[in-house]
Amino acid sequence: MRLRLTLVTVLTAATVGGSVLAQSPVVRGINGSWEAYPLRGEGFGSGIQPKTPVKPPPPIAEPPLKQAFLDEWRAVQARNAELTKKGLPPPSTGMACIPEGMPGMMQSTFPMEILETPGQVTIIQEAFTQVRRIHLGAKPVAPEDAEPRFAGHSTGRWEGSTLVVETVGVKESARFRNTPHSMNMRITERLRLVNDEILENVVTIVDPEFLARPWTWTWMYKRWPGYKIEEYVCEDNRYFEDPAQRYQRLKVN
Amino acid sequence: MKMILPTLLVISVLSGGPVRAHHSFAPYESTLQIKLSGVVTEFRWVNPHVYIEIDAADEKTAEKRHWLIEGASTSILNRAGWKFNIIKPGDRITVIVSPLRNGEPAALLKQITLADGRKFSNGAAAGRATIQ
Repeated sequence: MRLRLTLVTVLTAATVGGSVLAQSPVVRGINGSWEAYPLRGEGFGSGIQPKTPVKPPPPIAEPPLKQAFLDEWRAVQARNAELTKKGLPPPSTGMACIPEGMPGMMQSTFPMEILETPGQVTIIQEAFTQVRRIHLGAKPVAPEDAEPRFAGHSTGRWEGSTLVVETVGVKESARFRNTPHSMNMRITERLRLVNDEILENVVTIVDPEFLARPWTWTWMYKRWPGYKIEEYVCEDNRYFEDPAQRYQRLKVN
Repeated sequence: MKMILPTLLVISVLSGGPVRAHHSFAPYESTLQIKLSGVVTEFRWVNPHVYIEIDAADEKTAEKRHWLIEGASTSILNRAGWKFNIIKPGDRITVIVSPLRNGEPAALLKQITLADGRKFSNGAAAGRATIQ
């Protein structure tokens, strides 16, 4: 009797709320744990190649910054590489236990979990336990109203089988690949399943203040059934910026 | 193999695409690996990095020092087969490590051998042991 009542309730809800369900389905097949693809070596993921190999995306091009910013960016990259070669890596936000934020958290350095719930897709990146909430069908946040956050403010919609996500409000200090950006930066992601195992994320960044043209690249993720995301709290950081020399140091004693 | 690992590290830095979540391993002498055997004084299973402290002697020089050995993050080590309680103070272990370039007694772990003979790596980012 209880089962019949439950069935009736579900069927009634499905009928009455049919239009809502059609706009905001709970599951579109991206639920679960994912790791970066191509695979990143021992410890980073499952080490299990997909059943059907997929051509990996090309490397990310250098940011198409406006010339003056590009010159500055290249000089910083060169200086950082030179220091690193000498064993004196420059301070970084990661060294200070500051999370990557958007879009860096979507490169999936460590595995990530995607949770599809009614009206929301939540993404949890294991590294630094970073969380972003994508509000489906919500009114986009205007950049001037967006409180600066590491993950920004994300709204999303399904276009057929592609989840299109718009993100604004990323803190200016959260710099992906040392690339400067303004509070008017807009990140668009188009996530779709290439096959049952591979999820593609085409990322496009528009920021007229700093970028001469949109910056686009593709990331891919491989499904990792059964993987349980672990806790990662940056609890015992022994790295610090050497105040005199301005490079990374490890506190030994 | 000795040349491949440093080359990969440099490529990773230049391409701006590090796979480490926390920091660069450049302060360690990546082309040098040494073997230390000694007794664990502390085992810290924490993020961003797991640390093992040992009173150990360099197998070649017999010099005894108190070493801080840096491991990867806890989840990387779990995926490489470790467990949070795999080591305890008093355990005798052997490690293959790359020491800091500045001579301080700290080193990046490449491989650990526990008292019972089990061996574990420190994950792909730290690189493999090139000596045994």
